[in-house]
This record gives sequence, C-alpha cells and structure tokens, in this order.
Amino acid sequence: MTLTLAACGGDGDGSTNASTGSADAGAASGTVRVIMEEVPDTDIVKEMLPAFQQAHPDVDVQIEALPYDQMRDRIVSSFLASDPTYDLIVVDNPWMHDFAQAGFLEPLDDRIAAIDGYDHEDFSQPLRDIASVDGTTYAVPFYNYALALVYRKDLYEKAGLEPPTSLEELKAAAAELNEGGRAGIAMQPQKGYKIFEEWANYLFAAGGKIQNDDGSIALDSPEAREALQAYIDIYRESAPKNSLNWAFDEAIRSVSADKASQLISYNWTLPTLNAEGDQAGNFALAEVPGGKAALGAWFWGIPANSANKDGAWAFVSWLTDKAQEKERVIAGGAPVRDSVMQDEEVWEQGFGEEYYTTVARILEDAAPLANGPNAEEMINVVGEQLNAAVAGQTSVDEAISTAAQRAQETLDK
Amino acid sequence: MVPLGLLLGVIVAYPLGYSLWLSLTDRRIVGSKDATFVGLDQYAGLLDNAAYGVAMRNTIVFVVVAVTLELVLGLALAMALQRQRRARDLTRAFLLTPMFVTPIAVGLMFRFLLNEQLGAIPAILDNVGLDIDFFGPTLALPTIIAIDVWQWTPFMVLLLLAGLESLPRQPFEAARVDGASAWMTFRRVTLPLLKPAIGIAVLLRALDAFKVFEYVFATTRGGPGDATETIQYQIYRTGFQFFRIGEAAAMAFVLIAVVLVLATILYRRFLRPEASA
Repeated sequence: MTLTLAACGGDGDGSTNASTGSADAGAASGTVRVIMEEVPDTDIVKEMLPAFQQAHPDVDVQIEALPYDQMRDRIVSSFLASDPTYDLIVVDNPWMHDFAQAGFLEPLDDRIAAIDGYDHEDFSQPLRDIASVDGTTYAVPFYNYALALVYRKDLYEKAGLEPPTSLEELKAAAAELNEGGRAGIAMQPQKGYKIFEEWANYLFAAGGKIQNDDGSIALDSPEAREALQAYIDIYRESAPKNSLNWAFDEAIRSVSADKASQLISYNWTLPTLNAEGDQAGNFALAEVPGGKAALGAWFWGIPANSANKDGAWAFVSWLTDKAQEKERVIAGGAPVRDSVMQDEEVWEQGFGEEYYTTVARILEDAAPLANGPNAEEMINVVGEQLNAAVAGQTSVDEAISTAAQRAQETLDK
Repeated sequence: MVPLGLLLGVIVAYPLGYSLWLSLTDRRIVGSKDATFVGLDQYAGLLDNAAYGVAMRNTIVFVVVAVTLELVLGLALAMALQRQRRARDLTRAFLLTPMFVTPIAVGLMFRFLLNEQLGAIPAILDNVGLDIDFFGPTLALPTIIAIDVWQWTPFMVLLLLAGLESLPRQPFEAARVDGASAWMTFRRVTLPLLKPAIGIAVLLRALDAFKVFEYVFATTRGGPGDATETIQYQIYRTGFQFFRIGEAAAMAFVLIAVVLVLATILYRRFLRPEASA
C-alpha cells in the first residue's frame, strides 16, 4: 500500500519538484514516509497527525519511529537508494554538515520564503545557525535538546542550596547532597558521544571552547584541563559508584528512582520526570553552571531523493508554523521558536513561566559540540579520551592533548 | 553445477570481490571527494593505526579466553548430562535457553543486571559485602567474556553431548575391564574419540566469537578508554558511523586473513583424518 502510493507520488518527480519552490503547499498530495526517533517528542507529533489530516486530507503521513542507534544507517541507505525509503527525515545536528555537503538534503530557502507569515527568524538563532551550511538553509528546527541542570528542588531547599553557577559550586552541591543511598549527581561518562555531551558544559563553564571561529580545534587549553579535572573530581566524589559506562538511560533512571539528586541532561527531561514516579513534581530546571550549555537539536530535512517533496514540505511547514508550534509545546514538546517561549498562554497551559524562560535563556547562547565535516567522528574521538581519563587510564593532560590532536586530524580528513 | 556456481557467484563472490575493490580505494559515503584507487594504502594505514592493533588484540583475547572457558564448562556439563537418568529432556531444554535469546537483548539484559544502582547482581553482592566494578577498566573485558560464556556454553554442550552419545561403547568397556581409573578413561579414551566433535565445536564457536559486537555495543561502546574495543565494533564505526567504507573494508579483509589462518590451524589439529587417528 505504502509502496504503491509512494511510487505514484514519485513518478512525476523530476518535472514537478524542480518548479515547486513557490508552489502552494495546500496542493500537495500522496504519502509521506517519515523516519523519527523513539522519544516523547515523536509521540507528540503523532498525536497531532489527525489535525494535519484535517488541514491536508490529500497528504498521508506515515511515521516510522526507531531507536537512535538504528536511524543514521537507515537514513543514509535511503539517501543512496534509487527508490528511497523515506520522503522526510529528522536530522540530528552533528549530521547536518556532512549530509548537506554530500548533496543528500534539499535546500529549503525558496520554500521557506514562499510562505507568508512563517517568520523563520523566530526560530532560536543557535538552531537556525546549525541548519545553515555555507549560507544555505537545509532544514528547519523540530525540537531542541540543549543541556540543563535538572535538580531536586526539595533536596536543594532542605540543604539551603541555590542552583550552582560555577563548577566549584556544582562540586560543593553534589558533595553536600551525596548521602545515604542517594548519590550527589548522576553522570553519563560512557565512552564517545555521551561523555562529551556532558563534559562540554563543564568546558564552557571553565571558559573553554571546542572550536575557534575559523573551525580549528581549540581544545588544547588550560580551561579544558581544568574542566576535565573538575569532571573527574565530581565523578569520584559524588556520582554513583561503578557508573563508568553509564549513559543517558541509567542517569535518568537513577534520579527518577530517588538514587541521585540531580543530573546534567536534556531540558526536555524535566516534564517527563515531573510527570511520573515517586518524585514527580520535585524536579526543577536551571541553566548549567556557567550558563553556557551544550546544544543539541533535531531538525526536519527533506532528502534530495524524496519521492514526495511537496507532501513532506506541506507537513513540515504546517507543523513548524507558529500556531502548531504552540500546540506542540503546550502538549509537552521541546520549544524551538522564541515567540512560543514568551507566550503567556503556553506558560499557563504548559509547564509554567519559569520552565519556558529558563529554556529560552539556555538557548540564547548554547553551542553545538561540533561544527563542520566529520562531526560524528570528531565527537567520538574526543569522547574516547575523556572516558579514558575518567577511568584513570590516561592523565588529564595527556587526554586533552591527544583529544585535541585527534579531533583536528579528524576535521582535516 | 552451473546453478550452484551461479548462486555462489551472486551471493559470495560478488560482494566479496566488491568489498575487496573498496578496500583498495578511499571510498567514503559522505564527503565531497570521489573515490580514487589507492592501492594498498588502506592496509598500510592499518599498520600505523594503534587503535586497530588494540582492537585486534582485545578480540583475540576475547575469542581465546571465551572459547576455552566454554569448551571446559561445556565438556563438563555434557559429561554430567550424559550420565543423568531422570528428567533428561527437561534439564537439556532448560540449559539450552540462553542460546535462543538474541545477543543484543542479552547485552542489554546484563547492562542493567550489572548496574550498580538498578541491577540485581550488585544488590546481591552488596549483601555479602562485595563491591565489583563490572564495567571498570580492569573487569570490562572479562565481564563481556563472561556474558559470552553465559550465552554460548550451551552451544558447546549441545555439540559435545551429541558427540559423546555417538561414541562406540566397546573402548569404554575395554577400559573398565582393564581397570582404568575415571581420569585415565577420560584422558585416553573419551578425549581422543571426541576430538572431531571438539574440533567442530571449537571452530564454529571461535568463528562466531570473532563476530562479537552486540555485547560491546550494548554495554561499554568499547570503553573504558579502549579496554573493550573489538574489531567488529571498530569496523562498524569506521564504515557505518564515520562512513569511511574503503578503510572499513580493509579492516575486514585483515580480519578474514586472521580468521582463515586460525581456521586452518584448528582444522589441521582436530579434523584431518590422520589427526583423529
């Protein structure tokens, strides 16, 4: 069924799509096959499908949700296939540059400009920057996963603590809250992406940076060494013991099971943590110490070989316009538009003013882990060295200089 | 012969030939450069690639230790099962169950079973005052070996039990008449007669163990540091995560060479007709 419909949509491709930069999205039809990740934000989009169906009865959106680890292989296979599997994809920020440069993604500037009142400038600036490769926009923001400090308000109040604004304060707070069966902080030192994603916040707090403005690696710095030492100290003093291979799953389960007092994680975990479990309602969100967070975000991108580009754009432009963004965020989606985070109706019907203004402040100056070619590999080579240093296999000094050197080599490949 | 040759050509020779060709190029899936022929550069690059050496060493340690443990445990269990009188089918079925779980699920299962805060095993050990860092720098590789032993010892049991039950009875009766001890019977009668079965079991298990990927992927991602980096996980990352297909193909061909050498040695020692005489 899917295949036949998609094939129909695909038949006229070459001629129709070339000229649809300014086409009316309302005229789109056919099936749109979408790949997404198995996360709460995907469930929210699924719940919005009936409303889309009403607005665009001729477009049939079919969502396939997969675990993160399977997505990139599938997406790239679909890019390379003569008969694509997906007409619309979600793009994680480290993939953006490579996908765009390889010509896998459809440029969207003309389509964006063709919609009256879409207000593309309203998307948070750091998110728009990621989607723009060499001056061309290849994707529109879907949801952000900038990192934040998610902490137990009740424990902080009992101990008379304020959310930490520096690494020293984080270290002190974690040590203070580390008592009995409850660790001071749950961490995710797993080798590769996970530890780098967490440690980058320490790096920013120490005043360091990952890349210079010209894209070259700036990791070999005293600030990076200070940040790694702080990370290791906090891990040894206050993280659950034997948690060297922990990733996001373990850390979030640990705090939700009242076995850790806080964690640095995605800001969208707050509504989830506050919705279920014994400690629901006790969690609050703060900016990471130092105020500059590692930025992650998902985007909507249309594959260059999509069999239904107009249908895909009809769906994306509908879902990301101001009205639907508001619906999506009220339902619990992580915001990407500045206006929605300042919207009093969203505050009331969603999770309160404090949450949205905190997310807005986080997004103001958040920065991604990597910008440029081979980002995925660069993140992995740095993450390997960080993990080895936490495990005590290399010194802080050696880990940082090796990480910086290998990261630069990776960018130059 | 012709259909068979055609089939082999399509499903074996073509992919193998194509990946051999890839290993002689700098082919990548993403990136602006087109693939060019680079001769043996990818292979030469592996010689300088310290991470590849570490992964090869870890993989060989993994295969040798895991398969040896599985052989010893499997043989002991098979001999015990052979003597069992009651509830044989039930015991056997029960013992074989780990084999029927998909390895990625086994990896995830142990990731959480061994989790310090959430898992059952550290909780039990805690009661007796033990604190073990299963995925720490020293124990991570042994832990992954133990997971493999848990899952695949039953496979050894299955093959060795079949081998034991097909052995002729006369040599054992002769040994008993001659008054040989149990140990002598085992060393001089059982082991030599069982050699072909052991050879097959070890060969199959070793070839399979070289493919270790899921446990690493589910538990440590090759960490801490590079303590559990294995060849297959490295090939996966190089080829499918970093998209350097040419380099990944070269890595795979070196692995094939290592496996072929090992298979030949095992075959000569255990399976050639004169070897079992």
